[in-house]
Amino acid sequence: MYSLRKISVSSVLFFLFLTVSGGNPYRFSAGAGEAGIRYACSMKPGFWSSFHNQALLAYNNSLSFGMNYENRFNISELGTRTAGLLIPAGKTSLGIMYSHFGYYNFKRQMVGLACGLSLSENIAAGVQVDYFSEKTTGEYDNYQLVTCEVGVLAKASDNVMIGIHLFNPVPNSLRKNVLPSSIRAGAGIELSKVLFAGAEAELSTGEKLIFRTGFEYEVLKKFWFRGGFSTENTSFSFGLGYLLKFCKLDLSFATHERLGITSCASLIFKIH
Amino acid sequence: MNKVFPILLFSSFSVFCLSQGNNISNEVIEIAEELAADESDPEIAELYFEQLHELIENPVMINSGDEAEISRLFFLSEFQVKAIKDYVQTSGKIVSFYEIAGIPGFDRQTTEMMIPFISFSDKINSISDTLIFRNTLLTNLIIKPGETDTSSLGSPWKILSKYRFNAGRFEGGFTIEKDQGEKFISGSPSLPDFLSAHFSYSGKGIIRKIILGDFSSRFGLGTNTNTGIRTGLSLTSTGYMPGRAEIRPYTSTDENNFFRGGAAEFSLKKLGLILFYSHKRIDATIRASADSSAFFVESFYKTGLHNTLSLNDKKDAVAETSYGINLSFNFKFLKVGLCWSENRFLLPVKTDKSNAEDLYKFEGCRNQIYSLYYNSLINRILLYGELSLNDPQNLALVQGVTLRPSDRLILNILYRNYTPGFVSFHGNGPGNTSSTSNEQGILGNFIFEAAKHFFISAGCDISNSPWLKYRCSFPSLAKKEEIRIKYLPFENLSFDLSYNFRYSMLDNQLENGIAQVKEVKTRTVKGQARFTLNNVTFALRADYKVADPSDSKGMLLLHDIIYRFRQVPVTLWFRYCIFNTDNWDSRLYTYENDLLYSFSIPALSGEGSRSYIMAKWEIGDIAELRFKYGLTSYLSSAYENEEKDEIKIQFRVWF
Repeated sequence: MYSLRKISVSSVLFFLFLTVSGGNPYRFSAGAGEAGIRYACSMKPGFWSSFHNQALLAYNNSLSFGMNYENRFNISELGTRTAGLLIPAGKTSLGIMYSHFGYYNFKRQMVGLACGLSLSENIAAGVQVDYFSEKTTGEYDNYQLVTCEVGVLAKASDNVMIGIHLFNPVPNSLRKNVLPSSIRAGAGIELSKVLFAGAEAELSTGEKLIFRTGFEYEVLKKFWFRGGFSTENTSFSFGLGYLLKFCKLDLSFATHERLGITSCASLIFKIH
Repeated sequence: MNKVFPILLFSSFSVFCLSQGNNISNEVIEIAEELAADESDPEIAELYFEQLHELIENPVMINSGDEAEISRLFFLSEFQVKAIKDYVQTSGKIVSFYEIAGIPGFDRQTTEMMIPFISFSDKINSISDTLIFRNTLLTNLIIKPGETDTSSLGSPWKILSKYRFNAGRFEGGFTIEKDQGEKFISGSPSLPDFLSAHFSYSGKGIIRKIILGDFSSRFGLGTNTNTGIRTGLSLTSTGYMPGRAEIRPYTSTDENNFFRGGAAEFSLKKLGLILFYSHKRIDATIRASADSSAFFVESFYKTGLHNTLSLNDKKDAVAETSYGINLSFNFKFLKVGLCWSENRFLLPVKTDKSNAEDLYKFEGCRNQIYSLYYNSLINRILLYGELSLNDPQNLALVQGVTLRPSDRLILNILYRNYTPGFVSFHGNGPGNTSSTSNEQGILGNFIFEAAKHFFISAGCDISNSPWLKYRCSFPSLAKKEEIRIKYLPFENLSFDLSYNFRYSMLDNQLENGIAQVKEVKTRTVKGQARFTLNNVTFALRADYKVADPSDSKGMLLLHDIIYRFRQVPVTLWFRYCIFNTDNWDSRLYTYENDLLYSFSIPALSGEGSRSYIMAKWEIGDIAELRFKYGLTSYLSSAYENEEKDEIKIQFRVWF
């Protein structure tokens, strides 16, 4: 029984390195809308911007609450549950995020406190403090880590946005454990009022460079169709979104070249 | 030490965005990175930056209308120098950078290269004879706390101090330098590890310049004498500066390649004359003959580093005397120069002729070079060339042509042939090596403004070494190819994309037997976007490199922010870069903003991140303080991390 548990933990650790977060297993991703465009969204404002570029929070102007569930390859142990709250405050917006990955024998949790600030008409910046906790049953060690994320958004023109995001730009010598860092940069363009396209690159320490691209098309009023591609595991994605008064529902599906489909669903409630 | 960084990091984040960038252009940076990657000439990148920093400190008076002054912008072509001169003479003073881009032969790309190095003042024409002293003192302190070498003779600090004064037509100054691990004061008499000083006079009449002390010189295309950087640093240069004759006070920190003594420049109508004499001690490895009856020079030591006992023994080991004369004739469409120079060493140079690689190496105490050079500008064609000889068998030949069929297209072709036996101790001709020897090659390139704000340039250089060279035990071939695309859609936004191919042949060293040929190929793609808004500049860059035969791959992604405060005269530079390379073969070079007269182009290999923060505080009009902290983290395994950091401080004062 014990050895079985050991094997299951090992398999989970293996899958962790096949995540959709640019090869950095500690960087959680969330949002079915964002997953639909294969997370090419470091420059696209949305409820889940805390997970992609905190500078985008500056464009949030409503009190909102959201939930997200991602399931990888139809394996319940590889599910990620996420919840978040956004609070607007003038030119600033605050975000509180919680994410939980794993199951009883292995779980990784993250709590993030984010702030996005509009610095000028064309520039916004954001910062987030993250607390990570990793718990494993058996003789394995448990870890707790604190780090930060930083993001910048620049409007190059009325319809072109450039986003830059740094995850964990902190020397590892300040901690007991090594945490990979990531740098992410992308540009997006609103080709028309109903069509958005974005592309970005991401590099994490110890990983290969990843390119992502995606589009979002408002097919009908308040109904979106999305598609995307990522060089990480040669993954394609598509997604749908629908806005019903104060509630937005998004669904997405992404392929993996060997392991199958990752599905994602999110609900966002606009409170005020 | 490691705790300093996050504090600075967070304090910088709190003010994160709003800045004016360091405006060194991408072309200048790419040349620097290319030079840093040149392992055959480790000093060239430093020399390049010293010349650039000298230009920053002492910008070119673009409105002077003086060709010699404008040609200090060594990356301009003869066409462009002449075009600026003609424009100033016919249309009056240039008042903005935009105006330069409108001059025939110029575009926004070239203008961007010039911006940090020019001034619109025309004071060179109004040099006063009144002796008003203006002084500049600069001090750099650099330390790498993580690097401690117990075998070093001195402290781990690198120290540089430069003083310069101007008073009317007179100028003088000194430079003191101590490298990491060297003793600050050493030798007999006790002096700083490197001390250089000069005093000069500039005139307008027959006597154009007199320099006493340390000086540098360049005649023609540099195959005879050129103690500065060589022509043709970049494959896609807009042009190559043809023959010029100049002497300049020496203010750099290369401890061997300069002259010490006196030089004078005279001009009479169309005739120019330069005379120079130098006597100084240089670094070398000295050996005794088998019977210990005589000493000889086995090799010259050029790095200038004396941080161990054995390296200190090489310091100032042999006396070198150099002298020469350069005569130039300036006709309307033709400039012709004749140059003769001679080097003498106190001890004879002997090489091991049993080593095939050294067969053509110099032996003896005396070396002479005779040169003839010319350049001729006829309409839109510039022809230039140089022939230098030690003797009829050992020669250096350079011939180039620059064509400008339209204002939007420039073509360059440059041929050189340096025989293996040609020796020039202070020469530095165009080509791939600093030795100006054992190389034949041809270079061609074009620069084309394909559409408004859209530039395409490409270049190819093919060269071969007819004789053996370092790490290559056979005649070899080398190729360089480069394509660059630049798009400048708006004033504050630019995109650069470049592709580089490099091919060279090296020894594939086997355990036994004759070394076999290893063909080394590297392909690099670089993309960069730069965006400036008010007082903040963002730059993003991605590099991807593949190196064969190891099939090693390397990539990096970096982000720069440059921020200038509005309320206080402070500028901040911040970089965060992540790199992943399979091994050293696919290493990537990245230029970093740094102190004046210091440079940083780290070779990033392995897996990790590189970040730095630099702050500049301009204290009124009298002083400037710079501080830089850099940190490189290597991920040695999934759970281990290695970090290297460095601190640099600079203080500059004007009085």
